[in-house]
Amino acid sequence: MQENYLAKWLSGELSAEELAEFKKSDEYASYVKLMEVSGTMEAPDFDVDGALQRIKDERIGNAPKVIALNPFKKFLRVAAVIAVLMVGSYLYLNTLDESVTTDFAERSEVILPDNSEIFLNAGSQVSFSEKKWDQKRDVSLKGEAFFKVAKGKKFTVSTEHGTVAVLGTQFNVENRKGFFEVTCYEGLVSVTHNNTETKLPAGTSFVVIDGKIIDSTKPNGTRPAWMGNESSFERIPLQYVLAELERQFNIKVKTKNVNTELLFTGTFNNTNLEMALKSISTPSQIQYKIEGDNVLFYAGNTLQ
Amino acid sequence: MDNVCEDRIFSSIFKTHSKTVFNYIYYKFGNEEKANDAVQEAFVKLWENCAKVSPEKAKSFVYTVANNLYLNVIKAEKVRIKYADKGNDRSHESPEFLMEEKQYKEKLEKALDALPENQRTTFLLNRIDGKKYAEIAEMEGVSVKAIEKRMHLALKSLREQIDGI
Repeated sequence: MQENYLAKWLSGELSAEELAEFKKSDEYASYVKLMEVSGTMEAPDFDVDGALQRIKDERIGNAPKVIALNPFKKFLRVAAVIAVLMVGSYLYLNTLDESVTTDFAERSEVILPDNSEIFLNAGSQVSFSEKKWDQKRDVSLKGEAFFKVAKGKKFTVSTEHGTVAVLGTQFNVENRKGFFEVTCYEGLVSVTHNNTETKLPAGTSFVVIDGKIIDSTKPNGTRPAWMGNESSFERIPLQYVLAELERQFNIKVKTKNVNTELLFTGTFNNTNLEMALKSISTPSQIQYKIEGDNVLFYAGNTLQ
Repeated sequence: MDNVCEDRIFSSIFKTHSKTVFNYIYYKFGNEEKANDAVQEAFVKLWENCAKVSPEKAKSFVYTVANNLYLNVIKAEKVRIKYADKGNDRSHESPEFLMEEKQYKEKLEKALDALPENQRTTFLLNRIDGKKYAEIAEMEGVSVKAIEKRMHLALKSLREQIDGI
């Protein structure tokens, strides 16, 4: 018997032999009965004329053709809404501060309205008000940046650890979790930390680690090491060195059996990860292992 | 050329196809209100697009609109089917026979409700509206073979349900 023979039988498409064979089957009588009874079935009543009348009424009520003739009015409405939104957002955005952010393994340079320059290290953010710049030269900083300030009125850098005020100079501010460092390269900088003001002449640094002011040595050169693609440390706990490594290469650093409080003095390269890892691991006498974006530092033979 | 926007043409299309649209949706969902709404929706849409739809395309246009209207409705209600009263020629049947007929129809109604929606719709469009498999295939947007399959399965399960297999 062919496929779907019941459907073929109902539509009279079975061949004579197939029909004869089907007639001999036990179910044949049942199917005939089903065909007969289902042939007398009816669907619920449907009022054709009433339904047509309702559609004609709706057609007049809706007058769909008229709507199509007024596309310009609709356009004007949309245009008005857009105009209001644009003016509103312009006025709102104007009151907001300018802001520049760098991600991990990213640098940026910002030119301020008075041509002062800010070089932003990785994972940092500065913001300032362009509108009120003439009245107040104030920049808020998260992270680390090097400032070349044009001569003029008082220039302040606000951070959560303290405020740095200058007249015209070059200085670097690093403001990380538990770590605050200001280095003056030219002129005179005033640092206010915990309501205490410290004057920093050119060639000196002010360092606070975990709330404690640290005696630090004189900085080398005329600009911070990171401006030359290196990260330099002078007796800094290893954990801050590793945090800087994460920022410079956008990687995740983990340690195993490594004392991250040990002080590190040295420099690592900001462009070559292998070299940077060697620069940290060799003097600290630890091993490292790279897995994708993860780096594990471990002591001696703890991994085996 | 005939235009669906012409009142005469529109009314004639409505009179030819509205009942089938109504039945089609009713077989699917067992809900007269939904079926009535589908007719309204489908033909109002046809009227709105009368300049774009030729009289030959009008039929498949209204089925498509009606079908799309309830694409997201999954749950079907009970489909109630009436039987044509054959008039006086029934009065001479014995009470036993009439009783059996009544029971048979009840069984058939139950079996119809148990069918998958697409099999029931195919079966009823064929049995009540006398639609050929090719026409049902066009309405449902599937091949004739698929409709034959649905019909075959529908007949098979109805028979098995009624005979209590």
